[in-house]
Amino acid sequence: MTAIEASMPPAPAPDAERGGYRARYAASPATMPVILGLPVLLWQVVFFAAPLVFLIVVTFWKVRSFRLEPDFSFDNWAKIILSTPFQRALVYTSEIAVLCTALTLIVALPAAYTIAFRLSSRLRDLAITFLIVPIFSSYMLRIYAWQIVLSPDGIINSLIKMTGLGGLPLLGGQLSLQIGLLTLTLPVAILILVLAFSGIDRTLIEAAENLGCRRSKIILHVLMPSIRNATFLAGSTAFLMSFGDYISPLFMTGSKPPTLSILIVDTVKSGSQWPRASVIGVTMLAILALVFLLANFLGRERKIQRRAK
Amino acid sequence: MSGNLTTALSRAAQYAFITGIALFIAIPMLVIAVFSFDANRFPTIPWGGFSLQWHEAVFADDMIRDAFVNSLVVGFGTAVIATILGFAAAYIDYRYVFRGKTLFGLLVAIPPAVPVSILGMAMLAFLSRIGLFGSVEAIVACHVAIATSFAMAIIRLRLGEFPRDLEPAAWNLGASPFATLLTVVLPFCKPALIASFFLSAAVSFDEFLIAWFVGGVNETLPVRILNLLQGQVNPKINAIGTIVLIISIALVLVAQRFVGVRAGKTSQSNT
Repeated sequence: MTAIEASMPPAPAPDAERGGYRARYAASPATMPVILGLPVLLWQVVFFAAPLVFLIVVTFWKVRSFRLEPDFSFDNWAKIILSTPFQRALVYTSEIAVLCTALTLIVALPAAYTIAFRLSSRLRDLAITFLIVPIFSSYMLRIYAWQIVLSPDGIINSLIKMTGLGGLPLLGGQLSLQIGLLTLTLPVAILILVLAFSGIDRTLIEAAENLGCRRSKIILHVLMPSIRNATFLAGSTAFLMSFGDYISPLFMTGSKPPTLSILIVDTVKSGSQWPRASVIGVTMLAILALVFLLANFLGRERKIQRRAK
Repeated sequence: MSGNLTTALSRAAQYAFITGIALFIAIPMLVIAVFSFDANRFPTIPWGGFSLQWHEAVFADDMIRDAFVNSLVVGFGTAVIATILGFAAAYIDYRYVFRGKTLFGLLVAIPPAVPVSILGMAMLAFLSRIGLFGSVEAIVACHVAIATSFAMAIIRLRLGEFPRDLEPAAWNLGASPFATLLTVVLPFCKPALIASFFLSAAVSFDEFLIAWFVGGVNETLPVRILNLLQGQVNPKINAIGTIVLIISIALVLVAQRFVGVRAGKTSQSNT
């Protein structure tokens, strides 16, 4: 019924006798949000929430003769948590994600500052376009391009060899991996910080200048506290992206050593070990949730203090 | 004097820094595009001469053509559904207050934040359980779950500028809530709807892990590239890459034009 009402042409509205029209055609206040909201809700529940819940359920199931069977055992958890490859991958993945987060912030903060305060508004808009485009376009291809640039016979090494020197082992180590991860994290982090810097009330800066603050002091005491939230958001986003990334470890270091994402895909693709792959996935999600809550908490603390003053 | 000099030096250093980052972002894309025209099998310096053979090879490859068609279907389907759902979600967030609203918002907003390696595995496990696995429709369904988040963000941002009194005015003049939605709210959101459409298409066109997991034998273009990449060095990759890059950059640029993210605005939209 209500779905039909939704498709009714609205045109005759002014001609109809007003009160009667409303009484007959106007959806009651409750039906409208239900009609609009139910499809979204169902879609997200079926194709997003249910798979994740199922992921948790599967960790307690068993595999018998290559088939999943419902069960309730902690075997998979015990097997994975206590296994050395998993522990190594967990430590390694955390390390590269922390390093990547630090590098991202070190580069992104001054970059965002310059874009927000030192560029003309036309250049700034251009810079923002330049940051948005790579977020949504072909990360995998850009990593492949870095492979071409860094490989033993690649562009940089060919240039070095032309000068008569020996080639450098650029591909395969932490350097290439971080280049790959920064390709992923930098545009997002800089964009978040540029928007945050641009949102700062300029009169605050002028006031500080008038009171005789040097630029360094303004940055430290006016700008940084103002973008505290955004800094934590940028940091946790960088951590999240690098922690879960699959492509950079795969192509820049050839999966050696494997990260948790690589471990998941290998465990799934190599056959029947769904429950164990799910344990890894759930553990990763738990870690990411913790990091986000922590960042949120740290980012918010200051606000409450300020309000209390 | 020395103060001016340090300022000048510091400015120069800042511009150099920004230029460096711009190069860091641009170089990978340029490398793909430039070397797709290189006659050499392995892309490196010295340049092997201009050639269109790899582009021709791409157009002659049936698997790539099939993958391209799949990508178009998936991208278009995702864009249409995600924009409709995104609009509904954004309007509900704008108009109503209800219990569980935060949860509703999170359910729509969070999917892009979950690593696709985990999400892809979870979706494959669940979809194969309910018999939806291995089809183009399955890829669309999963891509929509992610893209709706972006669509909602863009449309919600636009609704933030929608005058609160316009809807009650239409109601008072006798328009039903649905009529108001279709003739007042929807036209106001048109630029955001167009932006959502193109951005959702870009998100779908770019996504490969979920498509790889749930698509089964139905490869989309990025999945085809991923499979090519894991094989031997294949000079076709640069040629497909150039085409993919041009399409996805065009999609994002159109989307950005209509949403008009400017640094002047506050950072509500930043995720």
